[in-house]
Amino acid sequence: MSAPPVVCTVNLVKIYQDGGVPVPAVRGVDLRVEPGEFVAIMGPSGSGKSTLVHLLGGLDTRTSGEIWLDGKRADTLGESAWALLRRQKIGFVFQFFNLVANMTVADNVELPALLAGASSRQARERREYLLDALGLTDRAAAAPAQLAGGEQQRVALARALANRPRLLLADEPTGNLDSRNTRDVLRLLGEVHREGQTIVLVTHDARVASLADRVVTLLDGQIVDDGAVAAPRRRPRGGVGGVVELRG
Amino acid sequence: MSTIRASVRWIRADLRARRGQALLTVLAVAGIVAALVTAATLLEDGTNPWRGLFERTRGAHVWIHTGDAPDAAALRDLPGVAEVAGPYRTAPVTLTLDGRRSAVALREAGADPGPVAAPLVRTGRWLRTGDTAGVVVESSFAEALGLRVGDPFPVTSLSGVPHPLTVVGLAGTAEVGFYPEWTPGLAWTLPATLTGIEPAAGRSESVTGLRLADGEDTLPAVHGAVTLLDEQIRRMSTWREIRASMELDNRLLGLLLGLFGAVGLVAAALAVANAVGGRVLTQTRDIATLKSLGYTRRQIVALLVAEHGALGLAGVAAGLAGGLAAAALALDDLPFPPLSPLPLLAIAGGTAAVVLVAVALPAWRGGRTPPIPAAPAAPPGGRLSRLARLALLVRLPPALVLGTRDAFTRRTPAFLSIVGVAVPMMMITIGLGCWATLDDFLRHPERVGQAAALTVRPGRLTADAAARIARADPQVIAVHPGSEVSALEPEQTRSVLVRGLGTSAAPYPLTVVEGRMFAARGEAVAGQGLLDLLGAEIGDRVRMTVGGTPLIVRIVGRVVEPDQDGEVLSTGLDTLAAKDAVPPQFHRLVLAPGADPEAVRARLLIASGEAVEVRRTVNPAERLAVIRVVIAALTVVLALLALANLLTASALGLRDHAADLAVLKAMGLTPRQVAATLVTGTGLLVALGVAAGTAAGASVAGGLIDLQGHTSGVGAGIGRAPSASALAVTVLTAVGAGLLVALVPARRAARAQVPVTAR
Repeated sequence: MSAPPVVCTVNLVKIYQDGGVPVPAVRGVDLRVEPGEFVAIMGPSGSGKSTLVHLLGGLDTRTSGEIWLDGKRADTLGESAWALLRRQKIGFVFQFFNLVANMTVADNVELPALLAGASSRQARERREYLLDALGLTDRAAAAPAQLAGGEQQRVALARALANRPRLLLADEPTGNLDSRNTRDVLRLLGEVHREGQTIVLVTHDARVASLADRVVTLLDGQIVDDGAVAAPRRRPRGGVGGVVELRG
Repeated sequence: MSTIRASVRWIRADLRARRGQALLTVLAVAGIVAALVTAATLLEDGTNPWRGLFERTRGAHVWIHTGDAPDAAALRDLPGVAEVAGPYRTAPVTLTLDGRRSAVALREAGADPGPVAAPLVRTGRWLRTGDTAGVVVESSFAEALGLRVGDPFPVTSLSGVPHPLTVVGLAGTAEVGFYPEWTPGLAWTLPATLTGIEPAAGRSESVTGLRLADGEDTLPAVHGAVTLLDEQIRRMSTWREIRASMELDNRLLGLLLGLFGAVGLVAAALAVANAVGGRVLTQTRDIATLKSLGYTRRQIVALLVAEHGALGLAGVAAGLAGGLAAAALALDDLPFPPLSPLPLLAIAGGTAAVVLVAVALPAWRGGRTPPIPAAPAAPPGGRLSRLARLALLVRLPPALVLGTRDAFTRRTPAFLSIVGVAVPMMMITIGLGCWATLDDFLRHPERVGQAAALTVRPGRLTADAAARIARADPQVIAVHPGSEVSALEPEQTRSVLVRGLGTSAAPYPLTVVEGRMFAARGEAVAGQGLLDLLGAEIGDRVRMTVGGTPLIVRIVGRVVEPDQDGEVLSTGLDTLAAKDAVPPQFHRLVLAPGADPEAVRARLLIASGEAVEVRRTVNPAERLAVIRVVIAALTVVLALLALANLLTASALGLRDHAADLAVLKAMGLTPRQVAATLVTGTGLLVALGVAAGTAAGASVAGGLIDLQGHTSGVGAGIGRAPSASALAVTVLTAVGAGLLVALVPARRAARAQVPVTAR
């Protein structure tokens, strides 16, 4: 028997209440993501992509159905247990970067490691390694507001990877970037994926999705298409960022 | 535990980003705590200098003034009496320094002052055998006259013979209150010197102190002494009166500070809660991000409580230190710390608890922030209302309309901001009321029973001659004869002052606030303190004893009485027995409006050839001048509190409407109009808070001061609301300052690029 799937959902349902009117956002999703897989979730606005990713990360609670993470059931966990789980196993990248504005780039990246109980020295070493790998070493002391959008998203990526998560959840990570920065961020995502990182990425951009091993298409909260990308177009490895090593 | 390092990073970064606001919180809380500590110190009995003096001098509980020396052995045998001090012969003399005359009770004392009620030497030394020209002066008397060791102390006895003496030391005693509230001044000299100055025994009196086994139980000893000495007794005082006289000012100040401190604490709690709540709202996204990184709800609450609570607790600590230091500096002779541990702990614990609760409520709400950072954080109903569109269409100043709408997008914070400004404003208005009352004391002394600015004592002249000289002065418009006697109140445990002023037909213009002025023989008016002491009401008949003669009067009115804690009975001279009233001991002079009392005093001294003694009336407001300092300091603290609230409201308004700025600019508003919109939003809350606070303060100020007057014995009827102009200036200053504070961030926001993100 091989390793359990990183993510497995069974008939996952999320219904919002909007002024007493039930609004279904996710309607019976069965999704299975194997270790090392790079899954892109696509779909038009309002199809429930973001809600699905939020449910997988425990940011939102499911209405019914099951969520299994790394072979353990997670949907029954309380808010605090989810928080602990996120600390250890899940990294998030958001569309608007969500860096803590008052903290420097270095502090932003060290925060998750410190939260997980690493010593200051360990957190600093990990941060130096990540920022170096993402080409941001000279921006370590800067405030997020001083950074360009692409740089901010790279910092957010470094922060998400700080604790070597089992699962990286990315919600429209390039939605707010120009094409050049999009290219940079995607290249980095591709690199970490090649190192074995499991990624679930939400996008409505087909070019972004084409980077993934597999594309899941949602429509009105249901999976309407799920298939491997026919001919994944792999770029040659670039020399700027270097390899982000994830295990070891 | 693992989150501590991460939380410390976050707190440090957040504090660095809002240094000014954090400092403001610390300062405001510190100011309030300092006021509370100082108030408690002043109110606490231990700060009363009487206690220390009494213990260190082994003071006597009861002092009896008699004509001849009483039998000390018989007094010692009285029930409850443990030891006896004296009897000491005491002669009235006059001290003349720089043309100023002061009445002095010159007391005999040996080189060894004895085991009971020995004065405590503060500077210089005690009398030595052979100090024939040496005198030790009571410290508060010396301080009032500016006397130091080595200074000359020229006294004149009743017979008019001058005697040059020299101050050899200053000493404190628990026998008399502080000069000038307690007159005459007291000085000690060797028995031989006293006999040399005043050989006639008939012109002196004898003073004996009784130290009791149980100081709480003075009645048996007092009654025993009254039975034993009977008509010999001229005056009697117990330790309670002396303690009360020494604590009067401290108590008044303490109450004022306590009131301001307690209400200020509410205002501080509100400011802290507003600041934390506003911070939580502005940081919704950061908090959500922290949650997505793995912070639990409880850890978020702990983080917020730690950050904001630490600021509050730092304020409490700074306030405790500051308050103790201020109290120790302001009051001499106190051990450190000046406040006993229990009230200190109560204040520290109480304020810390208030601060933590004020922090915990908004922090708890912060903990419930949903962990999805992308969730819309816009305020409810954040789009342009129909009213606003209409206002724009009819070309009303759009900033006004939009700002008004913005001010109330979040009802609860808006309401809290208004209250947060209103409470400090109310206290400031009450402070102004106190100020106005003091001003009124000074400007219209006749309204507090001090119509006469000068008191003339005949000195070497006859009473008639002195009155004639006074009447001859062009600026003297009325001369009222008067006498003061000390009467034993019905219980005969203590003396009160009975004053004959004017006659029943032509009474002195006292300020009657209840009932009416005395208009016939046997009628009298009393101060609040006396009514409270006797448990009497207007219309009651009271019986007192003046030097053995009964005095029965009917109290027909209550007057504002600033002297002797209001424990004064005023009546016509014709009501007093002739032996007390004729000739009058002094004349009170009412001067023409605008006359300078000093000039009149100088003229009278010249006209009489320095034979009369002329004294200025001490206005209670002069004694209470320190209250103005307190009011000014508290106003600063309260203004800080209001400012803290204002900054919160301003930051919140800015954050809530940053997204709207794009819409507004797209609609064609100039940067100036955008800034005006934001300023209106905050300014409206300020204006409402200031208006509400001022109205509330103005309506309660008079009543509060009257209440204070009642408890201090002066009596209700002194409270004045602040003047309209003072109020107007304060309101305009407050609103103006509020608008200025709101203007800085608003201008920056208006000029800044409209943010692309939803932040």
